[in-house]
Amino acid sequence: MSSFAKPISGVHRTSVDRPLRLVTGRAGTSVSLDNVELSFADRRGEQRILESTSLDIRAGEFVCLLGPSGCGKSTMLNLIAGLLAPTKGKLLANGRPIVAPSPKRAMVFQDAALFPWLTLRSNIEYPLRLQSIDQGEREARSEELLRLVHLFRFADHYPHELSGGMRQRGAIARALATDPEILLMDEPFAALDAQTREILHAEVERIHTLFRKTFVFVTHNVREAVRLADRIVLMGTRPGRVLREVEIALPRPRPANDLRMSEIANDIANIIASEVEKVAREEADDAWLAPANSVRVGSHRHLGGSI
Amino acid sequence: MILSLRESAKDGVLVRAVVTTSLRLFVGYGVALALGIPLGVALAKQRLVKQTAGPLIIGLSSIPSICWLPLSLLWFGLSETAIAVVVVLGSLLPIAVATENAVRLVPPQIERAALTMGARRLRLLLSVTLPAAFPGILGGAKLGWTFALRSLMAGELLFVSGGLGQLLETGRDLGDTALVVGVMVVILVLGRLAESLVFERLDRVVVRVWGVAT
Repeated sequence: MSSFAKPISGVHRTSVDRPLRLVTGRAGTSVSLDNVELSFADRRGEQRILESTSLDIRAGEFVCLLGPSGCGKSTMLNLIAGLLAPTKGKLLANGRPIVAPSPKRAMVFQDAALFPWLTLRSNIEYPLRLQSIDQGEREARSEELLRLVHLFRFADHYPHELSGGMRQRGAIARALATDPEILLMDEPFAALDAQTREILHAEVERIHTLFRKTFVFVTHNVREAVRLADRIVLMGTRPGRVLREVEIALPRPRPANDLRMSEIANDIANIIASEVEKVAREEADDAWLAPANSVRVGSHRHLGGSI
Repeated sequence: MILSLRESAKDGVLVRAVVTTSLRLFVGYGVALALGIPLGVALAKQRLVKQTAGPLIIGLSSIPSICWLPLSLLWFGLSETAIAVVVVLGSLLPIAVATENAVRLVPPQIERAALTMGARRLRLLLSVTLPAAFPGILGGAKLGWTFALRSLMAGELLFVSGGLGQLLETGRDLGDTALVVGVMVVILVLGRLAESLVFERLDRVVVRVWGVAT
């Protein structure tokens, strides 16, 4: 807590007096990482968490950071949030250096992180309360957001009375409350069942299309990344680094069972498979051979791709 | 038993004893809460405090609080302060230790979420960390309450005048078993009353709101 506890000038009233804006075509770079590196020292010496990384994210772009665990994707997200400080390099958000967390960069966590002692409505109003926004506006705003995520009927429920998917929708509504420029999502749907996840993908896509905010979405699920992203940043492990970037040019809204999506996902899975094998070999520490085609590769997976 | 109690009640001894004991309990327990919760938070959040005061507090908590009474009597004389010190020391440490635990066990995402929304320092502590730790702190407060009651009874039995503890001693001196048992029942009723009026209600709130039992 202490290292983050610097008061920052960036905390100010955001545009709650305006309704949710339908912004179209916000130009320019939203987030920029310039040779950002993170390492820390422990008893085995220096541990490199994230190797020197440069990345520009356009305003309104939906970027997925995709990779196996330990690839530094969550680290990268925490750096952008301002929750971590880089060892080297520069991070900019809308041209200004990132030095501390800010309501302009809202975050959604894997377990929703709704406050258990507040009702859903109060959870959504909490960030507005921090900005001393008066009660009338708070209520109007939270109602609007609750309707946006289809949870208005559950406004007075406590988080433990909601399902996992509802909690995540609540967390998304809370993140939107301060009308942030950037939404950071850290494997928000990893703990949900497949059906709920598909529904939430559609919701996120709808919200992205509606408000054109910049989304940075961390996942280890290839299909999820292909389903959502304009661009996938593929990351590898040991040390965490960017392997390559893949633009997904599929039109939106994307149907959940699009065949082209499966093909792209397959190609990406192949790239990841070699990475995973590398890690497995390292962890097994002697001659390890991943069984052939064990990791979602192989022609039978192409689902008619050669027809 | 009823007769003995009625007799004590008639000349006001019982009422005075109940009032004296309750006052001592409330003051001692109140001070213990007021000091113990901030101490626990400091132990959890400030590394310097943890490293310096941490071992001391663990060490001190292994001294039964009644052992402080002789020292307290030497310093403060046969006074209310002396007994208050014993009560405070008896209940402060379990409250502080439970608070420290509860604060340390607050899921980091909860505080991180609040940070990204712009909460800082005191605001973060009061509006997020403490509410998040509340079920655990309540557990410590309950523990502290029973410790306060025990310390006070021991203190009153041993040295300090007035109060239910001394009434017990009087009963023994007079060989009045009925009085002794009667006073024990009164102590039990006091303890139960605090439980059902305060702690059980708070427990129900925790179950309803947090969805967990303490």
